[in-house]
Amino acid sequence: MADLKVQIIQQLNLQEVKPEDIENDQPLFKEGLGLDSIDALELIVLLQQHHNVRIANPEDGPEIFYSVRTMAEYITAEKSKQG
Amino acid sequence: MKAFIQGTGSISAQDSTVFPATIREYEGNRLPVADPDYKQWIDIRQIRRMGRVIKMGVGASHISLQDAGLTMPDAIITGTAYGCLADTGVFLNKLVTQQEDMLTPTAFIQSTHNTVAGQIALMLGCHGYNNTFVHGAFSLENALQDGLLLLQEDPARKVLAGALDEITEYSHTILSRFGLYKNAHTQQLLRSGTPGTMAGEGAAFFVLGAEKNARSKAELTGVEMIYRPASAEETAGHIAGFLQRHGLQPADIDLLLTGRNGDVRGDAYYDNIETTLFAGRPVAAFKHFCGEYPTAAAFGMWMAVQALHTGQVPAAAMFKGHAPATLKRVLIWNHQHATHHSLILLTAC
Repeated sequence: MADLKVQIIQQLNLQEVKPEDIENDQPLFKEGLGLDSIDALELIVLLQQHHNVRIANPEDGPEIFYSVRTMAEYITAEKSKQG
Repeated sequence: MKAFIQGTGSISAQDSTVFPATIREYEGNRLPVADPDYKQWIDIRQIRRMGRVIKMGVGASHISLQDAGLTMPDAIITGTAYGCLADTGVFLNKLVTQQEDMLTPTAFIQSTHNTVAGQIALMLGCHGYNNTFVHGAFSLENALQDGLLLLQEDPARKVLAGALDEITEYSHTILSRFGLYKNAHTQQLLRSGTPGTMAGEGAAFFVLGAEKNARSKAELTGVEMIYRPASAEETAGHIAGFLQRHGLQPADIDLLLTGRNGDVRGDAYYDNIETTLFAGRPVAAFKHFCGEYPTAAAFGMWMAVQALHTGQVPAAAMFKGHAPATLKRVLIWNHQHATHHSLILLTAC
């Protein structure tokens, strides 16, 4: 999850945010890191570029991108499916 | 139609908070913007998506609004030749390297020429007139003319008008191939007598109103453009005609502020007219402070407004003659590549 936090910070250019500032279960959107819909698109690209993971159903987005932990769990699950 | 300039803001190679008492000197072939702390004007959550030219534009517009004591303009007008060049480069680069796949939206939505005017409006919550002029070295002048027309329609309006352009590594490399730039020191640039100049970048904004108020710093008396005059003589005729249309003669101009940039090819125009039409008149310059870029006249206008407001011309700006003891009228004559000539007449108020 530490690597994922670094990737999120780089992809979204979160200036003055350090990986340790992001809690694993902290909401990424709205009250948490304050991300918005454009950031959601950036996170989709991050999953594809860094982890070769695509989101098949866009309606799953809010659940997948709820926190760093839910993102990591989704990546792990998709990777295991890919073998 | 004329307007009163009620607020100004500039972000350039000079630190506008200390200029002209402290002048930054540069050596090389470009003058980069002295970036202020943009977080004083822009929320950190918004700043992370902004390219340099957007930050420059938003910052300069904030300074000008603060200077005018205005929180909400009725219109926002910008002029830019290159637009948001850095973000355009990022987007196009990804388009190529990623074979048109997995493209992120941020660089794309930040890459349009109207991004700065749009961003200023979004941050202010301004739903008024919003326009951007992209006319090369006439971009500032068109923005100013549009502002004057808006005030003619409705004198109660307050118009935020300005111009901006940035240097990127790509653009500088490409433009350098045309032989536009040379290595120099800003102190010697204007008298270097060789081809080429130093590149520049910056943003400057002005709050325009039809009525004079306590914050008015100068009057924008007139703006005109001359495209591709055939000779210096034809240019001189246009300048004389412009002054006549405002009831003036060359002798009525207290200071001629030219866009002289140290490139001997283009400066020949200034040499000619300074010694004929404006013989004996004091002449100043500004591009050794900000560098050459298509909207550099915005920095010249910002500098001229400060001079008219304080009554003092920076000694380092003088090119010919002495700074006038009294400063009533300044004529800014700028040209780029001898094809785009512009005239901006400012009067003390």
